Amino acid sequence: MPGLFPPFDLPDGIVLLITDQLAAPADFILHRTLAIHLRERRKPSSLILSVSEGFGRWKALAAKSNLNLAHHVDAGSLEFVDVLPEIQPTADRRESLRILIKRVQVCLDRAAGPALIILDDISALDWIGFPLLDLSRFLRALRAACLKANATLIIRHHIVTPGEADELFRHLLQISTYHVEDRPLSSGRSGDVSGEISLHPGFSVPSDGVKLNPRNIATQYRLADTGPEFFAKGTSGGVL
Amino acid sequence: MTSFKRKATGRATLPSYPRTRISPASNLTLITSTGISSLDDILGGGLPLSCSLVFAAPDVHSSYGELVQKYFVAQGLASGQRICVVGQNTADFVGDIMWISKSQVWNAPESEEEDEGDASQKVKIAWRYEKMKQFKTTVGDMNQNGESFCLPFELSSRVPREVIEEAVDKKMVQFVDSGREGLSTSRVLGEISKELERDTTVPLRICIPGLGSAAWGNLTGQGMLYFLHSLKSLLHKHGHGCASISLAPEISTSGWGGAGWMEKVGWATDGAVTISAFTANPALSSIFPGHHGLVEIHRLPAPHTQSPPSDRFSTLRGLGTSGENNLAFKCTRKRLVFETLHLDVEGGTSERRTPAAAAAKKTTTTTTKRRVVFEDNEF
Repeated sequence: MPGLFPPFDLPDGIVLLITDQLAAPADFILHRTLAIHLRERRKPSSLILSVSEGFGRWKALAAKSNLNLAHHVDAGSLEFVDVLPEIQPTADRRESLRILIKRVQVCLDRAAGPALIILDDISALDWIGFPLLDLSRFLRALRAACLKANATLIIRHHIVTPGEADELFRHLLQISTYHVEDRPLSSGRSGDVSGEISLHPGFSVPSDGVKLNPRNIATQYRLADTGPEFFAKGTSGGVL
Repeated sequence: MTSFKRKATGRATLPSYPRTRISPASNLTLITSTGISSLDDILGGGLPLSCSLVFAAPDVHSSYGELVQKYFVAQGLASGQRICVVGQNTADFVGDIMWISKSQVWNAPESEEEDEGDASQKVKIAWRYEKMKQFKTTVGDMNQNGESFCLPFELSSRVPREVIEEAVDKKMVQFVDSGREGLSTSRVLGEISKELERDTTVPLRICIPGLGSAAWGNLTGQGMLYFLHSLKSLLHKHGHGCASISLAPEISTSGWGGAGWMEKVGWATDGAVTISAFTANPALSSIFPGHHGLVEIHRLPAPHTQSPPSDRFSTLRGLGTSGENNLAFKCTRKRLVFETLHLDVEGGTSERRTPAAAAAKKTTTTTTKRRVVFEDNEF
């Protein structure tokens, strides 16, 4: 059974934290993971808690991998939740987060096979005014529900101040098993290299975990129409 | 009977709107012009429908952010698209937009002003280089197929009053006054939502000049990010709308909303660009005398693709061949142009030409003589 997160050989049933920066968004990891999960797993079940992207983009990008998301939604193997309309500034925000947890729980209870939960943008909830305490409680509940059901949980967080870890990031590191870091090139944008990814351990990584990929040997990638092409540092088309 | 079936493409399902075209990157995306052809090039052909684009113009002494919005409105008005302007004194803002000059011939050569400048600065060059194409720093108004997409507006022309009156009568132009008492950002979003749902047969351009200015009340960073995020989400649901927003100068700086403010704005929208004018910094004006400011790209729209179409199709950014070009803008008497930033022929300012040291003069005498002879032969 192929891993969900190539080029890294990560197991299923983990809590994966993905961090990215504006110059190198990690959308492609989320889209690719969903495509692999729906295609390669038997009786898959998945839930997307989408804060920043519409279903149209998910559908369009999945179509490039010959995957019809509308069909999966009809078949019940995929559920898409647009988070923002459910959260109004006037409404009780804590209650709206509780509703999200309930939806996740329903999805996990219904799952007949391996489950995948994607939260595509936790940072936006922090920036639009959710208290950190409510968010950390929400994340703890989400993690507990996923671990209980042996489901894979992916959470994406945006880094806006590289080099200075924010409070939410510290909390996310504590609850995650692994941390995939997506960074732009320090020399600026390039046509040959879109960015580089590295794999770090989270606080709950098992002792016999997978091989890590620190920043100094980060894997570089170039985004093409169909997905990313990975290569070792210094071996891109523009270099060789 | 053959077993082959024609594969259905997204092209057939896309509605056709006036002055829009299919993006070169995806046949699911319709793009429309911003009114500035060089900006369209930076965006990878134009602004995609269902996307929002934010301009930050941190310079308080100029209003280039507003100028970009005026182009956006002018292009919509001349293209027969619907426009919704949100802000204070919106009617005056629309009445002041640029227009197509009566004497304007499409695909006209460079403006007179630029020609005069060229004549005075013309230098004699070696015969073998004379036939070389002139070095271009920007792109023209025509697309690859020779079709005009962006209209040739001139800053010296103003929109005729009757054009606006007619558009207002036909409800092609709507105003949402953000300065009205009790009009919170959520109510502004409600008004925009109503406009988007009113008519889905014509594209709607939402223009917000000076977001966060005094007319918006005491808008916090959180409130503004919530507004931008909700607007983005609203536009993603309606495939016929697009928005261009310029931030007020005081909130366009990176430090306004806490650390990483512009990054946050970039994540809350589909595209974010900073246009920093030189007016507050005379040193930069003297270093780049041919430009009026620098352009910094934070994020570009990619509604149906992994990477922005601009990465592949923008001539000005030049990512297809190598690293990204530095970009700048200049505002001539007739138009606003985004172009690549280069040092001039001498490699920078005249200050670089320092006189040779006395000791070094003796050693270089022979070389200098040779160069003079060479130049005589050449010219």
